[in-house]
Amino acid sequence: MSEHHIASAFDRDLEGIQANLMRMGGLVESAIQSATKALIDRDPDLAAKVRVDDKKIDALDETIHAECARLIALRQPIASDLRTILGVMRIVANLERIGDYAKNLAKRTVVLLDLPEVPGASGSISRMAREVQAMLTDALEATLKQDATLAESVRHRDVEVDEMYVAFFRELVSFMLEDPRKITACMHYHFIGKNIERMGDHAVAIANQTIYQITGQMPAEKREKGTENLYRPGGDSSK
Amino acid sequence: MSASKISARACNVFYGDTHAIKGVNVDIGSKSVTAFIGPSGCGKSTFLRCLNRMNDTIDTCRVEGTITLDGENIYDPRVDPVTLRARVGMVFQKPNPFPKSIFDNVAYGPKIHGMAKSKSDLRDIVENALRRAAIWDEVKDRLDAPGTGLSGGQQQRLCIARAIATQPEVLLMDEPCSALDPIATFQIEELIDDLAKNISVVIVTHSMQQAARVSQKTAFFHLGELVEFGDTDDIFTNPSDPRTESYITGRIG
Repeated sequence: MSEHHIASAFDRDLEGIQANLMRMGGLVESAIQSATKALIDRDPDLAAKVRVDDKKIDALDETIHAECARLIALRQPIASDLRTILGVMRIVANLERIGDYAKNLAKRTVVLLDLPEVPGASGSISRMAREVQAMLTDALEATLKQDATLAESVRHRDVEVDEMYVAFFRELVSFMLEDPRKITACMHYHFIGKNIERMGDHAVAIANQTIYQITGQMPAEKREKGTENLYRPGGDSSK
Repeated sequence: MSASKISARACNVFYGDTHAIKGVNVDIGSKSVTAFIGPSGCGKSTFLRCLNRMNDTIDTCRVEGTITLDGENIYDPRVDPVTLRARVGMVFQKPNPFPKSIFDNVAYGPKIHGMAKSKSDLRDIVENALRRAAIWDEVKDRLDAPGTGLSGGQQQRLCIARAIATQPEVLLMDEPCSALDPIATFQIEELIDDLAKNISVVIVTHSMQQAARVSQKTAFFHLGELVEFGDTDDIFTNPSDPRTESYITGRIG
């Protein structure tokens, strides 16, 4: 809806919420970026900063929630306004979770400093994180511009992240079989990989909410998943 | 909700040269609540008044097309408007009790339509109507007091009791809660819910929330046209016409 409300305060409230959502999105994007950089550069200071900055993300989560509650109570949004607010509340929850995963990545980064390096691991993590970050950027862009086509494209890119995760998982299993002293490090890398894969799912959830905001329908058709093979008995060759 | 109770086909209404209702087709279900919404002057009240021929009383008003009640054309010359209005009752925006006692307000309709065989019969009809209108407990000890002495919310419920005393099949309500406080409004809405178990209720309202709360179907009128008619759930979460969306979300259309 591009037209303005007759009550201009309604528009101001909606814009305020939208602005905070984008601010939160920006913080989460840089949390992914910094957490990955800290891991690759083995930089404990940057990792510590990611953990501290997560508090800002959590604070925005609460602020936006309060703003939405206030708007619902005072203005009783309906139709597209209602979908906007419901969508924002879900998107905020997804962003908050992505922030937590980034924080977890930063925690594990500090632990990994004292463990033997796993060759190629940071490369895989960095590729996955780059893709997930791009998905998140596009999902937020789609929300801001209410662009259903862009949101739809994000939904379909998750399969690449899933595939990268499955490949990474196999790689880690082979390292662990080769050298049991690397098991601890590999397990941490595995959780990091899994967390980044989950971030991708949350980016998809944001894209889904955006489509709901625009069309009033949650996207129905099942999207392809790249991890199916991993859960099938005997599906993983390295087992 | 079963088959339609009232059907309008190609309904056009003119006030002199003014084309107030433009080709409206609509089916109103039985045992359900239908809400008419739209900006002031969009024709929703005019259309509501067509459904029991209240527009007959306006000299310059001309109604075209057909409106049927249970398949019978209500504009057929053989139809007696007074009998029609006993079947299709009406409640207005402003409570308008007769300057008579509470009892006589409700007893009037059943009396003139010869619905009561005896005095005790009439008392039962009055009590039943007042009970269904959720006002019995408040007035049972002062049935002889003037209806005009009641509070606004009570007067409106008295008018509803008066309207349902003749056991109408359809009740038309033209902004019945606009002069009431929130508590009285909720009492009326509760009553509408209850009435809709047996009859069809058509309500004109300016409150979007009220339309959303009480109705199963909603019709949006704009500039004399019926823009959108559908399930209330759909109209208020995902309307299909941009004009409906603009109106219900409070945007300039």
